[in-house]
Amino acid sequence: MFRKSTAEERIRFYREEWNRRDVPDFIMHTLSLREFGFDLDGSGPNCRYNQFMMAEQLEDFLKNKAPYSAYASVALYEKPSKREDWLKAELVFDIDAKDLPLKPCKCSAGEVCEKCIEEARVVAAGLADTLKNDLGLRNVNFVYSGRGFHIRVFDDSVMQLGQSERSQVINYITGATVPPQMTMNLGYSRVFRERAARAFERLDESKVTEVVKSKRVVQKIFSEREKILGIIKSGRIEDISNVEGVGLETMKKLLGQIAKLNSGLTDGKVTVDTKRILRLPSSLHTGVSMKCILVRSLDSFKLEDAVPKFMREGGA
Amino acid sequence: MALIPGYRAALDPFSKEAKEIAEAAPSFDKIPRDVVDLAVTRLKWSDRERALNPSPEAVNSEVLSFYLMSQALASVSYPYSREVHFAGQSMKNTVRYRIYDLFKKGEEKFCLETIARIVKINELDVAKPRVAGVEIPQQDIFKIRDKRLQKDGVVEVDSWLLPQYLPKYAVHWTGLSPILRHGRLDMTDMYLVGGWAVLTTRDLWDIYAELIGAKTEEYIQSVYERMLETSAPPLPVLTEVGGRISSLVPKAPESRGGFSMQGGKLRPEFFPPCINLVLGGVGSGMRNFAIVMLLTSFLTYARFPPRGRLVTKISDTTDDISPLKEEVAPLIFEAADKCNPPFFRDQPQEKTNVYYHMGLGMTTEPKIGDSGRSKWYRCPNCTKVQISAPPLCRPDEFCRSIKNPLTYYFRKKSESYKNGGS
Ligand SMILES: [Zn+2]
Repeated sequence: MFRKSTAEERIRFYREEWNRRDVPDFIMHTLSLREFGFDLDGSGPNCRYNQFMMAEQLEDFLKNKAPYSAYASVALYEKPSKREDWLKAELVFDIDAKDLPLKPCKCSAGEVCEKCIEEARVVAAGLADTLKNDLGLRNVNFVYSGRGFHIRVFDDSVMQLGQSERSQVINYITGATVPPQMTMNLGYSRVFRERAARAFERLDESKVTEVVKSKRVVQKIFSEREKILGIIKSGRIEDISNVEGVGLETMKKLLGQIAKLNSGLTDGKVTVDTKRILRLPSSLHTGVSMKCILVRSLDSFKLEDAVPKFMREGGA
Repeated sequence: MALIPGYRAALDPFSKEAKEIAEAAPSFDKIPRDVVDLAVTRLKWSDRERALNPSPEAVNSEVLSFYLMSQALASVSYPYSREVHFAGQSMKNTVRYRIYDLFKKGEEKFCLETIARIVKINELDVAKPRVAGVEIPQQDIFKIRDKRLQKDGVVEVDSWLLPQYLPKYAVHWTGLSPILRHGRLDMTDMYLVGGWAVLTTRDLWDIYAELIGAKTEEYIQSVYERMLETSAPPLPVLTEVGGRISSLVPKAPESRGGFSMQGGKLRPEFFPPCINLVLGGVGSGMRNFAIVMLLTSFLTYARFPPRGRLVTKISDTTDDISPLKEEVAPLIFEAADKCNPPFFRDQPQEKTNVYYHMGLGMTTEPKIGDSGRSKWYRCPNCTKVQISAPPLCRPDEFCRSIKNPLTYYFRKKSESYKNGGS
């Protein structure tokens, strides 16, 4: 798994397996308004400014060129082939397993494995819950990208937002700011508690020593892990006075560090760039030999669904 | 208090009531002296002075002085400058005071109607508030109340004050994007349920005031862009009022954490797409417009923005011309060299032309004393760029909120700054 596919495999994938019904509706219905980009041979996404008026044209292109990578813009344009007259853009979040701030596995930089992809799935599900419940957004779609997940919100109430507002949304849903009031049942207070508790459970010593200098205090934090976790979950950080050897100042530093790590749950550059192209669901991620696919429900997502035929038939 | 028709204009200078007053008004050079003074003194008001007599004359002066203030600032300053921000804050404080004053006098319904014109409001059942089908837990209601009491520094609450501190309204967060955008409101500070921000009466007044403040700054941007289109100098009354306002603005340190809001080193990451294209060099047909007209004016005005008085030459903004030689000129000459064919190699006389367009006369070694020897050309508007060099206009989505490349720069820089950028 997760090996590069060959040129022959790519060709086989597009000729035999690719099906236009696998392109999600939210893209198909706005096909002619999107800019398509391709990396034809693995040298980078240099083939830009493509516009397809009909699904057949896209199909012909993919079957003929069998590109290394295929992308479509998150933006809709009046003139996509010139990237001009921007109309609106999906609100998107990129949760890349290889870039998770706290990885549950030992894979090296730039690599992914089943463990970190599973972690990315759970992160994506959490962010999406906040988008729906707190921000009241509808039409929240999920895509397995090959190395992680994309959340793509196709809701008119947010498609006109600019970069600043989009970056504020990231702060809110990832829990990237420590709130002054952490104990409310609903609202950002709850979002932060949930994200912070999750991060704290995954925290290793190296991340704590970045902000807490005393070795003794760091050890104390880990030996009292359960108690501190309980405090984060309740939001009553003043209860830290019941934990001997860890003060309120340390607790605040710890929360600050967690907030900083949380901001890395999703790649902010992707979200604020309202002209970005994202991997086209239905296409092949050649680098890992996985299909980029629309995920109808994150809960029932299985990695097998994204494995192309040529890998199943003993290609691995 | 009996409200007079048109009082709404005193809260929202962009309402149709206010616009009618502005349209019926005489030209600014024929405006009564007391209104001229009001355009300045309104920025010095203490809270009590913000109250308005409910007479048609007072509302008239109020609206006219607002427009005079805005246009004056556009004449002597630039979008999102400290002066403009000062005016936006002052407007916010005035609106907040007045709306609260009206509320105290029993005009809650009128206030809500006014606010509902610019943002959709949901009224909650105070006894059992529900938002988007979710009941707000009692404990949270107390915490929202206490947070707001703390913000206002209120220690003792009587039964009259208390209701203003209970969740009573909800507005959809996307309707607040003008103030989210300018960092006037932090999303993580909101109590969001199902897309609705739950607000106390106090919060609602504040948010309305912030919205009017943000609209004031955006309005001054639009006036500034219009002024760049005309070659006529602004009316003397505008530069007079602008200068008097500028002298009121508290002088903050020039830079904070190495990042200066006012002028300061050029920040190429905030340049608009057209300027980035020019910096990469252009073809022979467009060279003159791109380098001499567009890039030269853009960079000089971006590096030497007006500082509160009428500007006709670079020395009106600075005594130090070294940034022009060290930062601005190298960018222009590099871009010229990247043109096809390189611009100054086959037309060396154009190099003096660049300084000429900066208002430094015909020279290759400019000195501060040279400024004013020729006309300092202004940055052309987007429409002019589209007509003179269509390929340079490759708008991104941010371009939709501006009409001049310079505004793009000032606004983007300001947004990034307010959102904690560095
Ligand atoms: Zn891994």
